[in-house]
Amino acid sequence: MLSALREAEGPATAGWVQERLGGDLAYTTVITILTRLLDKGAVTRERSGRSFAWTPASDQAGLAARKMRKVLDAESDREAVLASFVTGLGPDDERLLRELLGDSRDDGEA
Amino acid sequence: MGLFVFLPLVLPLTAWPMARLAEQHLHPRTATRLLTGVAAVMALCSTVCLALVMVVGTAQLPGNPLPDGWSDPQVRAAVPYDEVVGKAAIPALCAVVVASARALWRHGRVRRRAHRALAGLPGTSVAVLPDDVPYAYALPGGRRDRVVVTTALLDRLDPAERRALFAHERAHLSARHHRFLLAVRLAALANPFLRPLRTAVSFTAERWADEEAARAVGSRRTVATAIGKAALVSRGTPVATLAGLAAPGPVPRRVAALLGPAPAARTWPSVFTSVGLAAWAAAFGTAVSAMSSANSAVTMFLILRAATPL
Repeated sequence: MLSALREAEGPATAGWVQERLGGDLAYTTVITILTRLLDKGAVTRERSGRSFAWTPASDQAGLAARKMRKVLDAESDREAVLASFVTGLGPDDERLLRELLGDSRDDGEA
Repeated sequence: MGLFVFLPLVLPLTAWPMARLAEQHLHPRTATRLLTGVAAVMALCSTVCLALVMVVGTAQLPGNPLPDGWSDPQVRAAVPYDEVVGKAAIPALCAVVVASARALWRHGRVRRRAHRALAGLPGTSVAVLPDDVPYAYALPGGRRDRVVVTTALLDRLDPAERRALFAHERAHLSARHHRFLLAVRLAALANPFLRPLRTAVSFTAERWADEEAARAVGSRRTVATAIGKAALVSRGTPVATLAGLAAPGPVPRRVAALLGPAPAARTWPSVFTSVGLAAWAAAFGTAVSAMSSANSAVTMFLILRAATPL
């Protein structure tokens, strides 16, 4: 069941998991197992509409990364809010930067 | 009040030399605070004056809700060229208000969404995201301040450089740099002449965090290489500049500054240096700006009170 959840792109519903596992399990059984996994901390769930969307706990970081990318891609002026470590490089900046860092490395070795 | 009411609109020009010189000649902490303070005061004064001129402009319009007395010739005489500037001030002030409200709202929205994206993770102060796009930033959130960094970036850095990266982002958070950045952003919206100050502050805030990181890890060169490497791996997003006009961008300037000697932590520069002169010019401009807007506000208040039949 966990591997089925991991194959999902993002959170999946219990119905999706049941379909994925191929028929033998009843919907209620799927729910029961998912709830047990939730108690063990192996999965997490969040409400989506009338049912729950389930996510494997180990994938929380990946899920957060995807959500964060969505936030960053959607905000054109995110630089104004989030002070990022580095900003983009201008046309000559890359050459200049390599020169500067090259110099510093030479100094370090000398 | 005469022409005094227009002074705060153009006095930001007196801060341009300082915006240009501060980043090289002042400690980045001093430069950030000074430039933000100047920008905030000037933006406030400029907006007050714009509002005063707008009152005169609005009172002339038919069907306005203002007391009739406010459209008296005496009131209008308080503002030179009242016909033109009074009406021009109406859309200008509306634009300032709308743009500022929008900027504030977007600021809140980005922070909320970013926090929501991280909601499923354990509440540690550093969130490491498995992503092949290299980026790192400081996400302010009161008690839930977080440093967000991707594995793609961490993989490219040595342990010492990672410490430099974290120290840099923590410096942003502990010194509340996002407030400075928001203040100058709003100031630049209130008066476009303040834009160079915004650019300067975004740079000096980064330099401030760089210097803090250098102090924390005990090596200026480590911070410099961390910035250089991070910029080179994330160079997929070039900044749009005209190639012919391209001066060295912020990243090479930061690296060069870190490879040079540490800046002196003087608080106020001597008047006999170029930056000292520029700082005094900006201080003078700010003072004049504050006095003219206060003078105009009081004058306008007295005139309007005299013109309002009670």
